[in-house]
Amino acid sequence: MSNYYNMPKLPSAKSPMVTIKVDGKDMQVPGDTNLLEALQTVGIETPHVCYHPYLPVSGNCRQCLVEQEGPRGRALVISCYTPVAPGMVVYTPASSARVKNARRAVSEFMLVNHPLDCPICDKAGECTLQENYIEAGQDESRLNGDVGRNFHGNPAHQFVDSKGQLRGGKRVDLGPRIVLDEERCVQCDRCVRFMRSIAKSEQLQLASRGDRTFITTFPGEKLDHEYDLCVTDLCPTGALTAKYFRFQKRVWFLSRTPTVSMDDSLGANIWLDHADGFLWRVMPRCNPDVNRTWISNTSRLAFLEFSKNRLPASPLDAVREALKAPGKVALVAGGECTLEDLAALKLLKKSLGDRAELFGGTFKKIFPADGLSKSGDPMADRAGFKLMNVPDDNLGDLVKRASEFAVLVTVNADLFGEDASKASSLEKIATRIALAAFNTETVKKSQVAFGVNHWSEVAGTMVNCGGLLQKLSAAPTAPDAALVPAYSALTALAGNEVTEVSAAYKLAQGEAPALADVSFESIRSTGFMLDGVKA
Amino acid sequence: MQDSMKVCTGNFGKHAQGIDAYKKLGGYSNISSRLFDLSQSETIDLVQHSGLRGRGGAGFPTGMKWSFVPRNSGKPVYIVVNADEGEAGTYKDHFLILEDPHRLIEGLIIAAWALGARCAYIYARGEFMPCIEALNKAINEAYAAHLLGENIGGTKFCFDVFVHRGAGAYICGEETALINSLEGQKGQPRLKPPFPAVAGAWACPTCVNNVETIMSLPWIFSHPVSEYTKMGTPRAHGTKVFCVSGDVKRPGLYEAPLGTPLMEMLTSEEYAQGVIGNLKGVIPGGSSCPPLVPAECEKATLDYECMASLKTMFGSGAIIVFNDTRNAVDLLDVLGLFYSHESCGQCTPCREGTGFAKRVLDAIMKGKGHDGDIGLLQSIADGFVGTTICPLSLSLGMPLNSYTAKYRADFEAYIAKNPNHAEPRIKSTVRPGAYW
Repeated sequence: MSNYYNMPKLPSAKSPMVTIKVDGKDMQVPGDTNLLEALQTVGIETPHVCYHPYLPVSGNCRQCLVEQEGPRGRALVISCYTPVAPGMVVYTPASSARVKNARRAVSEFMLVNHPLDCPICDKAGECTLQENYIEAGQDESRLNGDVGRNFHGNPAHQFVDSKGQLRGGKRVDLGPRIVLDEERCVQCDRCVRFMRSIAKSEQLQLASRGDRTFITTFPGEKLDHEYDLCVTDLCPTGALTAKYFRFQKRVWFLSRTPTVSMDDSLGANIWLDHADGFLWRVMPRCNPDVNRTWISNTSRLAFLEFSKNRLPASPLDAVREALKAPGKVALVAGGECTLEDLAALKLLKKSLGDRAELFGGTFKKIFPADGLSKSGDPMADRAGFKLMNVPDDNLGDLVKRASEFAVLVTVNADLFGEDASKASSLEKIATRIALAAFNTETVKKSQVAFGVNHWSEVAGTMVNCGGLLQKLSAAPTAPDAALVPAYSALTALAGNEVTEVSAAYKLAQGEAPALADVSFESIRSTGFMLDGVKA
Repeated sequence: MQDSMKVCTGNFGKHAQGIDAYKKLGGYSNISSRLFDLSQSETIDLVQHSGLRGRGGAGFPTGMKWSFVPRNSGKPVYIVVNADEGEAGTYKDHFLILEDPHRLIEGLIIAAWALGARCAYIYARGEFMPCIEALNKAINEAYAAHLLGENIGGTKFCFDVFVHRGAGAYICGEETALINSLEGQKGQPRLKPPFPAVAGAWACPTCVNNVETIMSLPWIFSHPVSEYTKMGTPRAHGTKVFCVSGDVKRPGLYEAPLGTPLMEMLTSEEYAQGVIGNLKGVIPGGSSCPPLVPAECEKATLDYECMASLKTMFGSGAIIVFNDTRNAVDLLDVLGLFYSHESCGQCTPCREGTGFAKRVLDAIMKGKGHDGDIGLLQSIADGFVGTTICPLSLSLGMPLNSYTAKYRADFEAYIAKNPNHAEPRIKSTVRPGAYW
């Protein structure tokens, strides 16, 4: 509840280094951050529940206690709210039995009224309480039925179970996307702080007090916000769960592929969580310079459609034949094209000679940035188009001059689906070829269609609106194993097929001098900042 | 004690609620004669020299607290009067306000002059409806007499007083929780720093003082400082209002100099007039303080240092006496109920631990106690030490430790009602640490 204005200061490359004494050893840590973050930089993990680097400090879980030498002797302090000061003397459980006992006590208190229904809990396997129990707890239970538990929860949702124990609400419908289990809640108030300080829409609140505290919305209101699913990521326990993922998959069966969401030019960093060749969920991937740990519901839930309505793999011969038609060729690139796709498209243009012309852009509307994970520009790789010297906004030109062209090749560009009225004049172009992942309107209006991989299934690079070169990785979730990436098909059409992403990236390097010194392998998961490239 | 030497309760029983009656008894003489001749720092110095210590429980020197409030910060300074008296056994502020509301207003004017405050809030407990009515009446009278409002006493000094009614939460007696509640947020203590003196109400410098502290000021200012300092002990000057309750012949509100022997308070004709039955223990400063057994009571004097040396607290001066017909388990169970109900629910140890302790006590009282339960209660209490934002968890932790230590026989007698009490509560099947 307290101090909603205290955003934690995080260490950065520019942080001044100071020396502090941890467990009797001098250590160099960033001097402008809190103790919890500073200890992390020297490899000392501090268990915590309520602290989150991108939320205001609340300091209520008390799990991150350390001992600090002060003017009045050694005192327990919470490391998340203690600023690093040069020369400070700190003791962790490694040397202090008092810290160890205090953390153990907090761990026990945290679990006293927790249902421990881990076998049926969706958070099991990635639960903060489980981690902290291993780290700080490991107690035997000291409770039995005579003592009982006081499960948190709204009195209106409580029920008496078969053993006569009063239980908290297990399936409280918080809103269209989220279910609350009131028993599992540990009142860390991360979700409350997120809605209040980050989403800036105070829809959640802690009601009541003591061990009767529960999370709730305002009477009659529902939790409904474009970013509301972020609270399920933030929730350290299985209290807040997403309806789409509830009871779908145990998290330890999921493999994670780091990639970039190609629905917006900010390029939100995401994890693709997949198992058995299917995507099960999309989670935000922390990148301090891009989306921090937030992702919009639109980007998060888009994956539900990734395997539906897909084009099957087909031979490239039909496309090759259609391209032989005489007359001018319009090559149109959509916003989802990676740098490799654009390089391959330019290669194809070269092979077609003077009769080919490049177009790019989208008919979709541009919205204002939301300040969290969206710039509002649906043309994801717009900065990449500029970098590769591909037009990023000349569809109007194409519409006007449609009658000049004999062949239209669209690559990941659903022109008819985005704005049928504007795209209708493109029907004047006699031969229409579509390279697309989905069976879109444009595919339906085209004589020749060729199925390619979706962006979630390709490796590659993109440049976001801030000029950050980011890497996409391929999740093994393609519905048809024979599907190929767009760059592979385009280079094959150009007569110089490239199947490896590293080779395709070399093509892009040839087109863009700014990439010359940046090898594909050297791009880190948090991206590489290109100077002077902006959308 | 003579009425003239009573710092806070001198007007008790004299019908001093109206402004005319209060003035006739010498009230508001400071405002008309002396106060506005002093500079701000002289006013604070005077309070510092008097050695007045906060009467809310912690006993922090008031003058020093005031000196922490930054001057010329460019922000308004707020004075907040803590009238959210909720500690079980404490009822002094209630009667101080009811009997003598104008003394509080006079004290506030002095405090406001010292701190350069433009306005003050009196945060009164929600249940104190008669007090709130009395205060509002007194404030209206003071406005009419130009003692509040614009240009008080012909100076440039302006000062307003508002009464804020709380919703009856014990935790709102903690100063930062009180400020949160005053701001309209949930009453939960804030992380410190920043301290309220620097960033309190609406992030402005704020000074939170107890009712009795503020009400001591008029007397201190209208007498020579030496008059005040010669009362009490060398380290705690002046008088204190004690709320005596429990098994005594005449429970009530008594003002006495600090350092008065505890037994004098309990047995003197002037005060409580004797203990009913055989003394078993005394809680010296409100329900959260460890009790004193009879042997300790004999040597105890009523001041901060002596109580600290006996490992208890002077607290708010609420003396609760119990005789040997009372059972310590029953007493502790009531405290468990109170503190688990009043925990604000912010920090994990307090939120879960107070209820945990209460349920263990309930099990003991239902005849389902085990021998290990005394140790269990003590280890719950140990988990409260230093782990929470505010001391509410300790308010139960200290009784848990002290009652089980000092009245162990009571607990053992209750536990013995369980035929299986010698068995552990949980039969362990796993060796601790055997998970690896």
